[in-house]
Amino acid sequence: MSDQPSTLLSAFSRKAHAAHCKLCLSGLPASQIDVDGSRLALAFYCLGGLDLLGVLEEEISPRNREEWRTWLWTQHAKGKYGSGFRPGPFMTGRDPRISLQDPADYTNYDTPHLIMTYTALLSLAILRDDFSKLDRKGIIAFLRCCQRQDGSFSTVPGSNENDLRTLYCAFAISNMLDDWSGVDIPQAVAFLATCRTYEGGYGQSTFCEGQGGTTYTAIAALGLASAVTKKEYLTRSEKQVTIEWLLRNQDDSGGFRGRTGKEADACYCFWCGGSLKILGAESLVNSEALATYLSRCRFKYGGIAKAPGESPDPYHTYLSLAALSMYPPQVHDGNSTSETWKFGVLDPLLNAREETVAWIRSHVPDRKVHS
Amino acid sequence: MFDDDELLFSERPEWSDVTPLEQYENLNPLAPIFYTDEYKDATNYLRAIVKSGEKTKRVLELTENIIKQNPAHYSAWQYRYETFITLLFPSSPPKPSKALATNPMVIAELALMDELAVRFLKTYQVWHHRRLLVALTRQPRRELGFIKKSLEADAKNYHTWSYRQWTLAFFGGAGGGGGVAVESSDENDIDFEVGEDLWAGELDFVDAMLAQDIRNNSAWHHRFFVVWGCGVREGELDRERISKRELIFVKQHISFAPNNPSAWNYLRGILRHTSTPFSSVAAFAEPYTSSKESISRDNIVDLDNPRPGEGAELPCSEALEFMADVHEAKTTEEGVNSAVEIWKNLATEHDTMRKKYWEHRIRSAHRSLNTATNAA
Repeated sequence: MSDQPSTLLSAFSRKAHAAHCKLCLSGLPASQIDVDGSRLALAFYCLGGLDLLGVLEEEISPRNREEWRTWLWTQHAKGKYGSGFRPGPFMTGRDPRISLQDPADYTNYDTPHLIMTYTALLSLAILRDDFSKLDRKGIIAFLRCCQRQDGSFSTVPGSNENDLRTLYCAFAISNMLDDWSGVDIPQAVAFLATCRTYEGGYGQSTFCEGQGGTTYTAIAALGLASAVTKKEYLTRSEKQVTIEWLLRNQDDSGGFRGRTGKEADACYCFWCGGSLKILGAESLVNSEALATYLSRCRFKYGGIAKAPGESPDPYHTYLSLAALSMYPPQVHDGNSTSETWKFGVLDPLLNAREETVAWIRSHVPDRKVHS
Repeated sequence: MFDDDELLFSERPEWSDVTPLEQYENLNPLAPIFYTDEYKDATNYLRAIVKSGEKTKRVLELTENIIKQNPAHYSAWQYRYETFITLLFPSSPPKPSKALATNPMVIAELALMDELAVRFLKTYQVWHHRRLLVALTRQPRRELGFIKKSLEADAKNYHTWSYRQWTLAFFGGAGGGGGVAVESSDENDIDFEVGEDLWAGELDFVDAMLAQDIRNNSAWHHRFFVVWGCGVREGELDRERISKRELIFVKQHISFAPNNPSAWNYLRGILRHTSTPFSSVAAFAEPYTSSKESISRDNIVDLDNPRPGEGAELPCSEALEFMADVHEAKTTEEGVNSAVEIWKNLATEHDTMRKKYWEHRIRSAHRSLNTATNAA
């Protein structure tokens, strides 16, 4: 199975996958109402997909990109907990006084959201925004309001909803701003350590079962923190146990599963694959089998599903592309097929294309401080 | 005759005093959702209510309607909880109390949560709201029963298991981590249903879950959490005895179904947690690395080293990996050679998916052996 020659891979229909992302950006059916409170994340998966496919400029007109930037900025809000981005306008009433120039004011029920703030910054960078409207100090204040006594972060200020995803987002935002004054790193890392399990993975929160997605957020968060503190947070043997657990999650289908004994799912090809890359173990992944599995998850009219035969969605499409960016299959057919399997290079710590991360480096930090 | 549930809020006379507030969208939004009329209608009223700050009984009706259409609407959940608390404690600050468990409003809310949890098993908010309620009523035993029932619908549901772990840690008095800090100073509240006996049924519960599916990793994880991960309780203080008990337990389960990564992970977990060398269970693991034919079939029952069952598919790759680790840890040339032999076997035959990894293990074992030899 694993030695199956990847030359059997059919051409990757980039146009069709781009069309899936574009279609979802243009509108979602009513069956997707549960995305209402996380629309910005969905938009990021679509934009990120177009970015990795390298078709953003040719597929989306400059005017369209400008309008999307404008819409993203209307989710930028300021208030007593600082500034950040909301998931969308689902709690924003129609109000003629809404101004597009400044962050809008929020109430207790439409505050910024930590995960959405992370995806908004990435989306704006993909759209090459100049970030002149960004309230940097406000975002730092917002991070401070989200950090709880135990070191974890809540999704919105005051909520008890906390897990490793939010901690990762707080670290990623600090990294993008090149300003860590909004988070208490040692406390956060202490919380993160309580999420580690005997299997070597990390659970969503203290005491929970090890899971691929939260393991990525843990490993990436430690990677981001290490880059600024110059500390090693994991011992050699801890790393080793985590690497082994991650590698064991690649099952006979070639895809990765999120938990021991579960079925493979396209998204875990990224979550586990990204963790392994950050841990320096990418050369140990069976990338041919991985690509074979993901090729089977493709929907024939575009988009990638969580498993073969399922319906595609932007989340699995983006994460599959991101996995393929890190683990490109070797296609030696001497014809154009191999070209279709090449994607932009991904930065595994921020989960964005390298060019986009370079844009973030030059536009998101406060230039007055860092020039 | 009209069923009230089928009327839009804009059609209900009792809501005529509220002016609905439509959602703001500008010209070219990203990923707009084509809402149903029912959702648009209900959320128009929620935005209006939130703006006016009304927290009355009808708000519970409105938020229930929205939650049933979109269980991930976290603002509706948040406003519902605040309204609920306002109605429950009209004149005093919220305080947990046992008496709350018999309050009709609380009973109704928990009944609704029972229904919604099964309907929206995979939605975080359903479980989150439940935590807030139970932190008030402090009746964790009911929750353990409910969780058991809800796992019948989905035995590996992540939220359900997390909720069980939270319930035990929060109310069970040992190392309770994250959660809602609500303390009571009232003397009358001393008989809250909390304490160590909450844990009494947990191992039987894990046994029952594993009897249904011996490969349910969530159940294995839960066992680790109960025995090793969250404090030590009365009757479990003799850790040597507990280690022994757990080793017998996991070995037996491996003998029932050798190719079960969850059980092997549990075995490795115990050994690491108790700093016991892997070699101490080599005699147990060894027979699982042999091919089926070579296993001697004597009738000796050795509890410490249960043999693979009759129909077992052997050799078992987890056992091979385990024995290679045992050999490598000897740090002798002979040990490394035995480990390399096994890794070659895994790479070419028994676990070809991880070929690159086994080759890496071979290279790095050779490397460390060379370093050790040169140093000596």
